Amino acid sequence: MKIKEDGATKWFRFIAYVVVLTGSVLCLLPFLLIISASLTSNEEIVREGYNLIPSSFTLDAYKIVFMFPEDLLRAYGVTTFVTIVGTAIGLLLMTMAGYVLQRKDFKYRNFFSFFIYFTTLFGGGLVPYYMLITNYLKFGNTMNALIWPSLMTPFLIILMRSFIHSAVPDEVVESAKIDGANDFVIYYRVVLPLAVPGLATVGLFLALHYWNDWFHSALFINDTAKYQLQFYLYNIINTSNFLNSIGAGAGVVLSGPVPSESMKMAMAVVVTGPILLLYPFIQRYFVKGLTIGAVKG
Amino acid sequence: MVGKQKKVLHLFISLVLVLTLLAACSNNSKTNNEPSPAPSKSTTTEGTNAEGNESSISGIDTSERVELQFYMLGNAPKDLDKVEAQVNEWLLEDLNATVKFNYTTWTDWDQKYRLLLSTGQDVDLIFTAEWTQYQQYAKNGAFMRLDELLPVAAPKLYEFVPQDMWEAVKIDGNIYTVPATYKEYVTGGFVWREDLRVKHNLPKPVDIETFEAYLAGIKQNEPNIQPLAVGQDVGATLEDAYLDFQRQRVGAMPYGLHASYSDPSNIVGYWGSEEHLTDLKRYKSWADNGYFSKNELNETDGNQDKLTNGTAAAMLSDNPTRYNSVLNQMKALHPDWDLAYHPYGLTLGYATPVHPIHNGFAVPKNSKKAERALAFYELMVTDKRYNLLTQYGFEDVNYTVEDGYYKMIGDNTTNGFVREAMNGWAWRNPEYMIFEPSYDGVEAIFNELDKIQVPDIYTGFAEDYTPYQAERAALEQVEKQYLYPLMAGLVDDVEDGLKTFMEKANQAGLEKIQESYKQQWLQYLQESGHN
Repeated sequence: MKIKEDGATKWFRFIAYVVVLTGSVLCLLPFLLIISASLTSNEEIVREGYNLIPSSFTLDAYKIVFMFPEDLLRAYGVTTFVTIVGTAIGLLLMTMAGYVLQRKDFKYRNFFSFFIYFTTLFGGGLVPYYMLITNYLKFGNTMNALIWPSLMTPFLIILMRSFIHSAVPDEVVESAKIDGANDFVIYYRVVLPLAVPGLATVGLFLALHYWNDWFHSALFINDTAKYQLQFYLYNIINTSNFLNSIGAGAGVVLSGPVPSESMKMAMAVVVTGPILLLYPFIQRYFVKGLTIGAVKG
Repeated sequence: MVGKQKKVLHLFISLVLVLTLLAACSNNSKTNNEPSPAPSKSTTTEGTNAEGNESSISGIDTSERVELQFYMLGNAPKDLDKVEAQVNEWLLEDLNATVKFNYTTWTDWDQKYRLLLSTGQDVDLIFTAEWTQYQQYAKNGAFMRLDELLPVAAPKLYEFVPQDMWEAVKIDGNIYTVPATYKEYVTGGFVWREDLRVKHNLPKPVDIETFEAYLAGIKQNEPNIQPLAVGQDVGATLEDAYLDFQRQRVGAMPYGLHASYSDPSNIVGYWGSEEHLTDLKRYKSWADNGYFSKNELNETDGNQDKLTNGTAAAMLSDNPTRYNSVLNQMKALHPDWDLAYHPYGLTLGYATPVHPIHNGFAVPKNSKKAERALAFYELMVTDKRYNLLTQYGFEDVNYTVEDGYYKMIGDNTTNGFVREAMNGWAWRNPEYMIFEPSYDGVEAIFNELDKIQVPDIYTGFAEDYTPYQAERAALEQVEKQYLYPLMAGLVDDVEDGLKTFMEKANQAGLEKIQESYKQQWLQYLQESGHN
């Protein structure tokens, strides 16, 4: 049987569709522009600006990008490695932290929760951070500098804690204890399997963070072989920005290749393309993970 | 009870953290103790190097093998590894050392530069220039005093660089950087499309009036071309360039101060003055006449790109070298177009070659291998093998020499080490330099300017802005918010707009800054004997 819709519902639907449609068109347009620009010749772009449909179709930009793909592939490799290793270690550490912080028999749990939370509000700033990483931990110019600093995020730890708190009832932990399981076994055999949706959410957040990170490359890495993908892209754009912004008085003339407008766009497509294609498949976990634990019942 | 204790504990921790935060803010530049005593014990171990190599007679201890950390701005060239390997092979023999060439890239380079120097990193050699704030860093003690060290560790280099250059880079009476000896001009000049000028029979721009006439002619005859490319940074491309030419400013003085080259000690406030109003009205008329776009402040394309691609027809100012490279790019894309250049100096009757501070290398204060670093730098500059390799790459792999000219093998994308790929502006050695044929155009301009050269008296000045650091930051905001739109011709009532800007600038502490700057400037002039 079909429920008859009254006028108001119809109108609501109509408006909702219009809003969502415009929203998604607005989101898609920039991507279309990038793709179209990457297929246009550079002079065309400078002369006539960006067009939704390339006025003169050419693959030149891609040819240049792929003429020496080693750098690009290496950057892909670094980012993939850092993302996988970082997410794996990060998940392990954060689930353990979250689990411990929600155990009622942990006396100082509030103190430590507050301590972790506190770091989101107050930080030492860039200079002490830089000194910590390079002078004390000696991570400068190594993969360590790309992986370690992002392993534990206060927000994600707190998310994990409340998630475990709501997904794993105390009684389950208690009964496991009666069965003779020690704390680590409880964590490993009982809590983790129950917390899978939470793991997916936190893991996605973390993986995205690692994938999009360029800042740590910018600060700590000197070796071109260890540049992250996003930094590789960002730096290309920054090089041409620098050339435009530096005054004539500085007399800087760079002899190396300066990327053209269309080449920048081709790079952007090559770099962001794969993760964009992946997004629709993993996106549902996001929604699920975020709403799980929101309602207690 | 327990709750209360916890509250107290939390409060205590927060307090401690806030305090450490404040402490970290207040003295981050002064964390390194006492100015470095220049190590002078080195003279004792003369010639201990087993190899007895020529360049190690310099009298420094090379018994222990070290790795030098060399820092340069910009992107590392693709073939850097190969060059580094070859340099290290030689260097092990010569100085029992290896070197690691590090590049900061252009992403946040200024921040990285500051962090490298302020947090005591292992850096032995680092690039300096006036646009990396050499004067300020030297004044604040970031670099090592080289006066005693140079004759010992790099005697050849000490000889090679003329004495007046050593004098010119001195900050507070001490040498902190090794200047480059290659003489060039980065002074301004009008740049315009010569083919269009001839086509429409327009006057040749030699001063502002003729330049305006040219712009008007382009506007009239070429509706699809924007006559003048200004770009986002109107402070530099419009005001600095205009003052440089029209009011013969001694240098790009900050904070709206003005002193002319002929009378540098007469330093006056330019902002808010009658002259400022006249100049602003002139920019406004350019904008109103459509010489540049109403949207110029949001422009992201480079001015040079716009010229080569035919969207703009002139630039108020550019330096000879860059003009020449734009010309060559344009010729490659559009063989039938042409560009011409008129250096300001030819109209004004004087031109200043770059100040020795413009390109240099310094040894940071924390370096523990200063002697070896200087000895290595000496090799980079004075040893032909090192110099050619680090400037041009491997002969017959990266380049060849034809009739005395440099010739690249392959092109920009296939060649892993193009000309000066290591950004070796500072260790150029005029005796070994080889140029591309296109350089002849620049050389011709330089030769003309050589005839009217006078020394740069502005760049040697080291401003100390610690007394007005806060005001300085505030003023910068005000400038961007109120002055830039005025310059770009976006404010209808210029007089009123200028009044508002001056009001806000004075609130931000303009007077205090100007007073202090004036005082420092006059003191500098007196000490350097320029007035």
